[in-house]
Amino acid sequence: MNDDTWRSVRSRRRFLAAVGAAGIGGLAGCNQGDDGGSGGGTAEETRADTGDGSSGDGTAGGSGEQIGSGRSPFGDRDISGGVSMTELPDLSGELTLYSGRGEALVGELVTYIEELYPDFTVRPRYNSAADLVNQIFTEGSSSPADVFFTVNAGALGALADEGRTGTLPDEVLDMVPDGFHDPDGRWIGTSGRARTIPFNTDALSDSDVPTDVMAFPDTEAFRDDVGWAPTYSSFQAFVTAMRVLEGEEATREWLQGMLDLGVTEYSDEFLVSQAVADGEISAGFANHYYIQRVLTGRPDAPISTAFTDGDAGAIFNVAGACTLDTASDDDLAANFVRHLLSAEAQDYFARTTFEYPLVPGVDPIGRLPSIDELNPPEELDLTQLSDLEGTISLLRDVGVL
Amino acid sequence: METDQHTPDAGTDLPIATTVASAAVAAAVLLPLLWLVRTGLTVGFDEAISLLTRPATVAVFVNSAALVAAVTLASICLGVPLAYLTVRTDLPFSRLFTVAASLPLVIPSYIGAFAFVSAFGPNGAFQRLLAPLGVESLPQIYGFPGAALVLTLYTYPYVYITARASLKSFDTTLVDAARTLRQSRWKTFRRVELPQIRPAVAAGALLVALYTLSDFGTPAIMRFDAFTRVIYVEFNTFGTETATLLSLQLVAVTFLILGLESLIRGEERGGGGGRSRDTVRLGRWRYPAVAFCVAVTTLALVVPLGILLTWFARGASDVGRSLAFRPEYVLNSVGVSAAAAVAATVAALPVAYLAARHRTRLTDLFERATYVGYAVPGVVLGLALVFFGTQYATAVYQTLYLLVFAYVIRFLPQAVGSMRASFLRVDPALPEAARTLGSSPSTAFRRVTLPLVAPGLLGGAALVFLTTMKELPATLLLRPSGFKTLVVHIWSAYESGYFGHAAVPALILLGVSALSMLVIISQEGYNVK
Repeated sequence: MNDDTWRSVRSRRRFLAAVGAAGIGGLAGCNQGDDGGSGGGTAEETRADTGDGSSGDGTAGGSGEQIGSGRSPFGDRDISGGVSMTELPDLSGELTLYSGRGEALVGELVTYIEELYPDFTVRPRYNSAADLVNQIFTEGSSSPADVFFTVNAGALGALADEGRTGTLPDEVLDMVPDGFHDPDGRWIGTSGRARTIPFNTDALSDSDVPTDVMAFPDTEAFRDDVGWAPTYSSFQAFVTAMRVLEGEEATREWLQGMLDLGVTEYSDEFLVSQAVADGEISAGFANHYYIQRVLTGRPDAPISTAFTDGDAGAIFNVAGACTLDTASDDDLAANFVRHLLSAEAQDYFARTTFEYPLVPGVDPIGRLPSIDELNPPEELDLTQLSDLEGTISLLRDVGVL
Repeated sequence: METDQHTPDAGTDLPIATTVASAAVAAAVLLPLLWLVRTGLTVGFDEAISLLTRPATVAVFVNSAALVAAVTLASICLGVPLAYLTVRTDLPFSRLFTVAASLPLVIPSYIGAFAFVSAFGPNGAFQRLLAPLGVESLPQIYGFPGAALVLTLYTYPYVYITARASLKSFDTTLVDAARTLRQSRWKTFRRVELPQIRPAVAAGALLVALYTLSDFGTPAIMRFDAFTRVIYVEFNTFGTETATLLSLQLVAVTFLILGLESLIRGEERGGGGGRSRDTVRLGRWRYPAVAFCVAVTTLALVVPLGILLTWFARGASDVGRSLAFRPEYVLNSVGVSAAAAVAATVAALPVAYLAARHRTRLTDLFERATYVGYAVPGVVLGLALVFFGTQYATAVYQTLYLLVFAYVIRFLPQAVGSMRASFLRVDPALPEAARTLGSSPSTAFRRVTLPLVAPGLLGGAALVFLTTMKELPATLLLRPSGFKTLVVHIWSAYESGYFGHAAVPALILLGVSALSMLVIISQEGYNVK
């Protein structure tokens, strides 16, 4: 099983720019200026001790362990890069956190930060990202929210577009490469997610999956055997990216082509990945970490990850945070966001959610290539993905929604 | 009183206090509608029309209508026999089935749908189990049949509980009379019992129809395109205004369904007492009867639990402290649900009483108004209250008061429907007799009418209690920050893909609900022997 995954990663490398894929620890300053494309290089992709994709060795740590010594408080590894929480200003006071990221995934981190400071209380509110954005809009100027922490740039952009965000100070923004925060400093990415093609290893081999996402509708191997989740926000961001990169007409044809191919619809991408693992379909569209989560529950499931090459199918989106215009203490709010970018928090994301840390020097965990081995489209930045409305009306027009 | 009390239709002489109370309740539940209209109208007219008349919108609307019809019919076919068997017959393990048959109501429909896909989907647990026996594929679970099946299994208790309450307060001397006239059991049921419980069945069926109309989770997981999907796509892309406008359309359809139900209701007879002696002996029909009860409850309860438990066994992964279970979740769930049940029962009392005993256009309007909160998706109702909370009632915003208020608005029709059917069943001659004997109207109500309608009251309270136990969208929007209930906990595990971790809280949810149902049912018996 592990081998399959490796093969997938390896073959993918053929398409990666030769630069530094296996380079040694270029810790800071990698890939400035684009949104996470190739260049620079971190240490070898995944570490042997965590490479089984299981979080079983992970979250047992808790708050009791030493912090700031370069040792992860959440599990068994050293963190070589990033800034430790101990080096950040102390937090004190009360903070209301609206979190579109699930409590199961980030609750432990939030509690960890809270327990680090005696005078600091977090009032977390977990819900879906869309619910919380709609709630913040409806609450208007009486919103109790100080910080919004969520699953993708789209939700952050929606708040920013309505002028509901605060502006983050440079010392926060500078913690991640430029492509991972809003150019005007209204939000910042805290971890990354790559678009991928989960495929069933019993049905297909890595080379059966085209490296060009635009070729999918013409791939007979996928006929009546491929799945997507068009109501899911990350899928919609992917379609938006295609509109930006390939144009409206080509995207329309692609969608129609997929429908003609007999694509199956699911309600979210975890279910797509499950269906792939079950052999219900042989391939699909999903964020990379869903595959890792399937593997966590079923380590021997016949599912692996393929990537397309430098196109809409390979975009790299971020989960992130912003402070709100209604925040009662801007400094506290910004400082809390800063804690989400600490080495400990970055390590936590890699460990618990299988996402890509955005702070240079903290590696991902799981059967994944490193961030620099990914090959997202270079000419695209995340703020270009905000035209959700155009995407929805196109999806409706074609009859996908 | 001047009016002829024997025909409930003729209530020109409305009791003032009850009317005022009833009007206040109606006004409170219509509050969210104001926000809906206000927000929905900000959508451009052209945009609205083009969205509503798109062929795809029309197609999903037809889909939804078909689903509503199928689920409602199927729920009656399950709910009425179950109610009859548990109330009127010598069914073995009657108490066990009485409780078990009502429990599917607390299972969140997305959990049910997910479990059915896992169990009966292509390459699901069931398929793998049967594969060695040479079974290559199971009938398709996705699409219309699956959506209808799952929705039926998790909504039939509406019919079951209301029909039960009605049968409980049924005067079996009528049946005896019919039987002495040598009518067969079936004929007796059809000609004596059925007409008597019809208002209750209609009330339950109405709840099923409206639930089906506004449910999102099940059709989404079953990959069946229902109207709600259009709403959720808007909502998830932050198009609150359009989502609201579409919800208004749901309200309009709801009123259409209410109108239809009024037609079916037809003439409702009052009368009947509360004497219930006769029990139907099942004889050799016992076995199929038990098999039927076992089949329904197994499918609705054991399948999802079994699936969650296999996930639990499979995923031994440690997800850390966040999903650690805390006993306070149970207290929170039971606390808010009990509060909602009591509040809804109190609020429903004047509305149901007037609608049954003094039927006029005004009292009908009050009663119908209570359905508005039930018709709109929970998330839209939640947002409406977010608006009122932050604009006009900051003191109660994100407190339990507003949360319970939201539950009452959402689930009031469940109490009203069940109670109204019970009031209809009370012979007006009885409280009248008490009045002739010198009781004040309120004493007559308290000492004569109330005991007679107790089963309906409890049935309504049980419905509100059970549905509040599983309510999610409004809870997520309105709860105090950090406040967690069992269902919020289940959802936390589910939405992160830790399905196995939903198993234990789901078991506890069922256990706690079963205990609560036992308490409620033990009250049922009082005064109605």
